Amino acid sequence: MGLKDRLAQFDASRNRPPEIVAILKRGNETVKASGTAGLQIGERAPDFALPNQRGETVRLSDRLSMGPVVLSFYRGVW
Amino acid sequence: MIRSLGADLMAISPELPDNTLTMAEKHAIPIDVLSDATSEVIKKYRLWYAVPAEVKALYQEKFGLNMEKYNGEGRWELPVPATYVLDRGGIVRAGEADPDYTVRMEPSDIVSALRAIAEVGG
Repeated sequence: MGLKDRLAQFDASRNRPPEIVAILKRGNETVKASGTAGLQIGERAPDFALPNQRGETVRLSDRLSMGPVVLSFYRGVW
Repeated sequence: MIRSLGADLMAISPELPDNTLTMAEKHAIPIDVLSDATSEVIKKYRLWYAVPAEVKALYQEKFGLNMEKYNGEGRWELPVPATYVLDRGGIVRAGEADPDYTVRMEPSDIVSALRAIAEVGG
């Protein structure tokens, strides 16, 4: 089973009340309609420099000079 | 698998730098966990949004989540969860973004994209 199927299974197993599911669904639709589609395939990713967990500055262009990069945007630890 | 294909993996969130981990724990994390505390990068990547009022109320009242504790004062804002595979030229070769945080890019698709990049020496 792939990650998508496993996540769908987990989500279903939580048995959330329908009113909560409806609020989250409406929220996702609102966000989708607000110009948050992200980068397109074939587009150049904007460079950046951000601190990592040890306070060191990481620059995307420096890492790209060493090889491909997988970037994952996530919401947080909660 | 991602490393063995010669790629670097980094994760970006809007959270302030984590103060709860010890330095040893921080060194034990094998990838870069980056803090975009001004959401500048998240905006550049067109993933930024303010949490809709109805969802904010749900998080606060039903889930007891205070996002400001993690993101800083006034920052009820998030990135759309997204994954991008970049070749050495910084070009997006594969990727997905979906506001539904339970939908993520298949790891096998990430690996396929990295294999395709490796084949052309990208």
